[in-house]
Amino acid sequence: MTVYVVRRLLQGVLVLFLVSLLTFFMMNLAPGGPSSLIDFQSTAAEREARLARFGLDRPVHERYLVWLAGAIRGDLGTSINQGLPVSRLLAQRIGPTLTLGVASLVLAAVFGIVFGVIAALRRDRWPDHLVSTVTTLGMSVPNFWLGIVMIILFSVQLGWLPASGSYSIGRGFELGDRIRHLILPAGVLAFSLMPNVVRVTRAALLEVLASDYVRTARAKGLYERTVLIGHALRTALVPVVAMIGLIATVLFSGSVVIESVFGWAGIGRLAIEAANGRDYPVILGVTLLAGALVITVNIAVDLLYAAVDPRIRHG
Amino acid sequence: MENRRPAHRPYRAIRPVVALALAFGLLFGGPSAAFAQEADETVVLNLATNADPTLNPWTPGAVIESNLINTILFDQLTRYSPEDLTPVPALATDWSASEDGLAWTFELREGVQWSDGEPFTADDVAFTFNDVIKNEALGAQSASQFAPIDRVEITDDHTVVFHLNTPFSALPYYLASFAGIIPAHVLADAENPLEVASFNKDVPVTTGPFKVAEFVPGSFVRLEPNPLHWAGEPRLAGMIFRVIPDPNTQVAQARGGQLDVVTRLNPNDVAGIGSGGRLEVLQQSQNLFFFVAPNHDDPRFDDPRLKQALLTAIDRQALIDSLLDGFGEIATGPVAPMLGALYEPDVPTYPYDPEAAGAMLDELGWTVGPDGVRERDGERLEFAMPTGQFGDLVPATLLVQQFWEDIGVIADVEVMEWNAYIQDVVVNRNYEVTLAWWSMPPTADVAPYFSCDAAQSGNNIPNYCSEELDELMRAGRRAITLDDQIEAYSEMQRLLAVELPYLYLWYPDILTAKSVNLHGFPEITAATAFQHAVDWYVAR
Repeated sequence: MTVYVVRRLLQGVLVLFLVSLLTFFMMNLAPGGPSSLIDFQSTAAEREARLARFGLDRPVHERYLVWLAGAIRGDLGTSINQGLPVSRLLAQRIGPTLTLGVASLVLAAVFGIVFGVIAALRRDRWPDHLVSTVTTLGMSVPNFWLGIVMIILFSVQLGWLPASGSYSIGRGFELGDRIRHLILPAGVLAFSLMPNVVRVTRAALLEVLASDYVRTARAKGLYERTVLIGHALRTALVPVVAMIGLIATVLFSGSVVIESVFGWAGIGRLAIEAANGRDYPVILGVTLLAGALVITVNIAVDLLYAAVDPRIRHG
Repeated sequence: MENRRPAHRPYRAIRPVVALALAFGLLFGGPSAAFAQEADETVVLNLATNADPTLNPWTPGAVIESNLINTILFDQLTRYSPEDLTPVPALATDWSASEDGLAWTFELREGVQWSDGEPFTADDVAFTFNDVIKNEALGAQSASQFAPIDRVEITDDHTVVFHLNTPFSALPYYLASFAGIIPAHVLADAENPLEVASFNKDVPVTTGPFKVAEFVPGSFVRLEPNPLHWAGEPRLAGMIFRVIPDPNTQVAQARGGQLDVVTRLNPNDVAGIGSGGRLEVLQQSQNLFFFVAPNHDDPRFDDPRLKQALLTAIDRQALIDSLLDGFGEIATGPVAPMLGALYEPDVPTYPYDPEAAGAMLDELGWTVGPDGVRERDGERLEFAMPTGQFGDLVPATLLVQQFWEDIGVIADVEVMEWNAYIQDVVVNRNYEVTLAWWSMPPTADVAPYFSCDAAQSGNNIPNYCSEELDELMRAGRRAITLDDQIEAYSEMQRLLAVELPYLYLWYPDILTAKSVNLHGFPEITAATAFQHAVDWYVAR
C-alpha cells in the first residue's frame, strides 16, 4: 500500500515536470507577450526596455532552465503583470477556490446520488422523467448564463442573496455571511456537475438491481431497504466514486467561468487573467497547481475504490 | 451605498421643512443651492473595476483597471476644469513658460502632506519625472508622451522648472492626463520604483482626497478619506472598488443597488440600466477616435485620393448605429469636438456616397474588372486587413469590408488574438489596412500619433510622414496663446482631413452609469470626474 502510494507520487512528479515543459514552450509559441509589457499604446522603445527588464529578450530554452532551477528550490517566480510572487498569488487564491469547489462537489454528489436513486427506483415513471429533464437542463445550459440569470433573480429582483464576492466587505468572519455568498456560485456550479452523477448512479443502480445476488437477497426475504442500502447501493457506488473523481478534476475549468461571473477571487480567475495577459510565471504556477491537484485526486480516488470495492487491492 | 459611520442627523427635526422648501423650490425655479449641498457624510460609495488595479500610475500595464482609482489616489500637478477641460491648479498652483517656450516654471502648493505625514516637495516632482518617467530602462507607462521633457530642475522646495528639448505648449494638459506624482521618500531607494509590491498592491503613500485602507487582491480595494487633503476633507465616508471582471455582472449589481458608479458602460447595456430608476447614464466624451489606418509603406497610398475614395465608401453613421446603438459621432479628424475652440469643423468630411467613391476610383485608373474587383495595370485593389479580438474591432472591420466590397475593393480580413495582433500589426506594422483607435489627452497636440519620428516604431501606426504636417505640429507646440494655437491647429486639421493619414471613423460617447443621488460628479469626461472626487457627495 505505502509502496503503491510512493510509486504513484513519484510518477506524479515526472508528470508535473512534463506538464511544465509542455506549458512553457507552448505558451511561448503563441505570439504576443505579457500585456503589461506589450500594451497597445506603448512605443517600441518602451516595450524593448520592459522585455529586457524581465529577461524576456533571452532564448526560450534558457528562460525555461532559469525557471526550472527556481521551481526546484520552491521559487515559482514573480508575476509580470502584478509584480507579486506567484506562490503568494496562489496562496491568496486557493482558499476561495477550494471552498467553492468542495461546496459544489458535495452538493453535486449528494443531490446527484439522491436523484439518481430516485430515477432508478421509479424507472420510466414521472419522477424519472422529471429528473432526466432537470439533468438535461443542467448539462445544456451554460454556466455563465445561468449565473447571470440567478443574479438577476435572487440578487437584483428578490434581493435575497449577494451577487458577488465571498463575504461582505468591512465585516469580520461570519459563517452565515460566508454561506450566503456561497449559495449562488456553488449552486450554479453544482447544477452543471450534478447530471453526470445522476446518470451514472441511475445506470449503475439499475444494473445492480437486475443482478443475481440482489435477487438472492430479495429471495432470502430481506427488507427492500436493506437490499437497497446494504447490498445494491454499495456496489453501484464504485462507478459513482470514479465519476466524482473525474468531476473533481474538471471543477477547475467550471470554476474559471463561475469565479468571473460571481467576482470570486479564486484560482480560476487568476488563470483566466494570466492567460489573457500572457503572464508566463502565473500561467505555469496555476497549471502546475492544477496538475498537482488532479494527480492527488486521482490517487485518492484509486484508494477509495479499494474502500468501496473489496475486490480491488493495491499491492 | 452602505452606511458605515453611526448616523448622526442634526437636521432631522427640520426635515419636513426641507421637503416643503424643496417643493417650493421646484415650483419656483429649482432647489436652492443651500439645500442641494446637504451631504450625507456617512455614505460609502461602491464602484467596480474589471481587474486588480496596480496602485502606481507609471507601472507598465497600469491601464484601464487602474487609471481611475489612481486618479483619486495620486494628485497631479494640474487637473482639468469641469467646465472646459483647461488645466487648473492641483499640486501646482501656478505656471508660466519662458519666452522661447523651452522652460516652464511650476509653483508647487505649500502645506501638502503625503498620507504618511511627510511633506510634499519639489523633490517628489523631480523624482517622478527625472528618475521614473525619463529613466528609459524602466519603460514607464505613457513615458513617450513626455518625450519633449529633458529634465526637471529644483529651484527651491516649492518651485520646479521643466526644461524641454522642443516647445510643448500642451505640457499643462499632458500633466493632467493620468500623470500622478509619486513619493520620492518612499520609492527612491527601491531597486525598481515601479515594482514595489507593498506599494502597488497594498497600501501606497498618496496625496489624493482618499487613501487606501485595505486591498484584498481579487476582491476589493477600500478607500477612506484623507483628512490631510489640501482641498479639505471629502464628503463621503469612503469608497470601495470591487473587482468584478464580468461587465454583465457589473450592470446587474448596479441595478440591484450594490454599485453606485459603473464606468465604461457597453452601449447595449444602456437600455438595461433604464431611466427613472436609481441610476442615470452620463454621455461623457474623451479625445478618442476610431480609425482605419492605411500602411503608408504601401505606395498605393501615396495618392490621398485613394484614401478619400475608401473613406467615402464607408457608411459611418451605419457603423455608429449598429455597433454603438447610436452613442457616437462621425469623426472629422483626430481632434474631437469636445476640445471646443481648438476643434476645426470646417474640413472635408467625405459623407457616405458609394457611387461617388466608385467614380473617384475610376478616375484613378482602378476600374472594375471581369470578376467585379477593381484593378489597375493587372493589379487588383485588394488589401490585407488583420484585426484583433478586442471590443468591437472585429464586427467593425467586417462592416468596413462589406462597404468596400460594394465598390469592388477587397479586404482580406484575418482575425487575430489580441496580444498577437499587437505584436504583429502594431509593433511589426505587418498589415496594409487595419482598424483600431487612439485615446489621447484633451489637446490638439497629436504629434505622438502623426509625426515622422513616431513612424515605423512609435505610435504613428500608419507610418505616415510629411514635413509640412510636422512643421504645423511644431508651430502648435510653439504657440503659447490660445489664438496662436487655434490658428496652427486649424491649419493642421485641414491638412489632416485632406491627406488622411488615418481614415477617421467615429468619436464614441463614453458611457458612465451613476446613482442619481451622487452629486458634484463632473459630467464632461470620466478622468475629470475622478480628478474632482473630493467634491463628490450623496444628498441626504
